[in-house]
Amino acid sequence: MSDIILSMPFLLQGAVITLQVTVLSAVFGTIIGTIFGMGRLSKAPFLRIPSSIYIEFVRGTPLLVQIYIIYFGLPSIGIDFPPFTAAVVALSINAGAYTAEIVRAGIQSISRGQTEAARSLGMTVWQTMRYIILPQAFRNILPALGNEFIALTKESSLVSVIGIAELTRQGQYIISRTFKSFEIYGGVAIVYFAITFTLAQLVNWVEKKVTIK
Amino acid sequence: MSTIISIRNLHKRFGHLEVLKGIDLELQKGEVMVVIGPSGGGKSTMLRCINHLEKYEKGEIYFKDVLLHEKRVNMNEYRMKMGMVFQQFNLFPHRTVIDNLMLSPLKVKKMDPAEVKEKALNLLKRIGLSEKASAYPINLSGGQQQRVAISRALMMDPELMLFDEPTSALDPELVGEVLEVMKQLAREGMTMIVVTHEMGFAREVGHRMILIDDGLIVEEATPTDFFQNPKSERTKEFLRKVL
Ligand SMILES: Nc1ncnc2c1ncn2[C@@H]1O[C@H](COP(=O)(O)OP(=O)(O)OP(=O)(O)O)[C@@H](O)[C@H]1O
Ligand SMILES: [Mg+2]
Repeated sequence: MSDIILSMPFLLQGAVITLQVTVLSAVFGTIIGTIFGMGRLSKAPFLRIPSSIYIEFVRGTPLLVQIYIIYFGLPSIGIDFPPFTAAVVALSINAGAYTAEIVRAGIQSISRGQTEAARSLGMTVWQTMRYIILPQAFRNILPALGNEFIALTKESSLVSVIGIAELTRQGQYIISRTFKSFEIYGGVAIVYFAITFTLAQLVNWVEKKVTIK
Repeated sequence: MSTIISIRNLHKRFGHLEVLKGIDLELQKGEVMVVIGPSGGGKSTMLRCINHLEKYEKGEIYFKDVLLHEKRVNMNEYRMKMGMVFQQFNLFPHRTVIDNLMLSPLKVKKMDPAEVKEKALNLLKRIGLSEKASAYPINLSGGQQQRVAISRALMMDPELMLFDEPTSALDPELVGEVLEVMKQLAREGMTMIVVTHEMGFAREVGHRMILIDDGLIVEEATPTDFFQNPKSERTKEFLRKVL
């Protein structure tokens, strides 16, 4: 028990890194996901086909391998990211693909009448997306997005393999010195849970907030 | 009189299904045209072709003297000139009533916010819904929603209004209030194409009636002639059913 308490400051340091990586990747992932989610629904093949390939490829390959490609693979073609950047890039690309599918479903859940009403008022395709479709779609997909962000928090532990001193990695350090695997990994799990639990509450709160009464 | 819409030999198909088989139509400024016909005849499709919510493969539609399907025509500009009212209202549920009215003038026409707001409040007052300005559509009755939808279209100062069965989704007791707004509009000289089965409306404010069946206009007459001496057999049959 005392080992857990003593190691807490280090775990919390790791948790801060985990949060940084996760939040950045969630933001970029949402942006990427919105673009590719719309891309996949586009009538234009030059938008639709690359979007589909990206989404399917990323969803069909392990995140760990994607991290390896970004961090160890890209330098051989001249793109050399520092570890933190590589971690955020890999997680963003990964989250982007899953988010794209969520966004696509969200857009499809809005009735065609909404688009028609907007277009009949002179809005362009883009204005219709921005003011009519996306705001409603995001309300509808909020729970799914919340789940995706929770999954992302947990999956961010994989970037420990490229030496990011996030939560899991910090745990490993401490264990290498104290040999208390059970206690420390237990502590690590508790911190992850605290983050995901808070996130879930946050999503619930936002959901209530944006519900039209 | 000046022509606002003219349609020449309009053909439209969905896959193998030919829905419009050669529609010819002229609409004068200030005219109220009532369109009736059996379900699936192509009434909605014709309206949706007019403001190009639907593409068509053959024929021409002119707005005044502009051939709309030409590449250089910016259809967004012309859609603004043709307000459309839908059977299902299609208000924007995430926006308040007044925002529904203001959105397009602000974002599309980039008008001055104060001016837009005043205009919106005036329109709401006219339809008796001033106190609903900051309500969300979900809290309005169907009749109120449809009146808001009409006002939303009017915010763009259209030169023509297209109505696609605006009262068909309403409870019977709410039909009157919507028709009243439409009649008022007609009396003020708005050019209108109205798909409806409300024959009272047609008699009261309609200038011309057409019956569309199986993708063709089978009868075209003044309301009086239309009801009293229809020429086509199909019109007679249709009138027997609806009257
Ligand atoms: N997007 C579409 N795809 C395929 N078929 C369609 C589509 N829209 C309409 N149709 C078909 O075209 C035909 C004409 O439809 P339309 O909606 O124009 O008829 P309508 O006269 O308005 O009928 P109603 O009185 O039922 O509204 C129908 O057979 C309909 O099923
Ligand atoms: Mg119809």
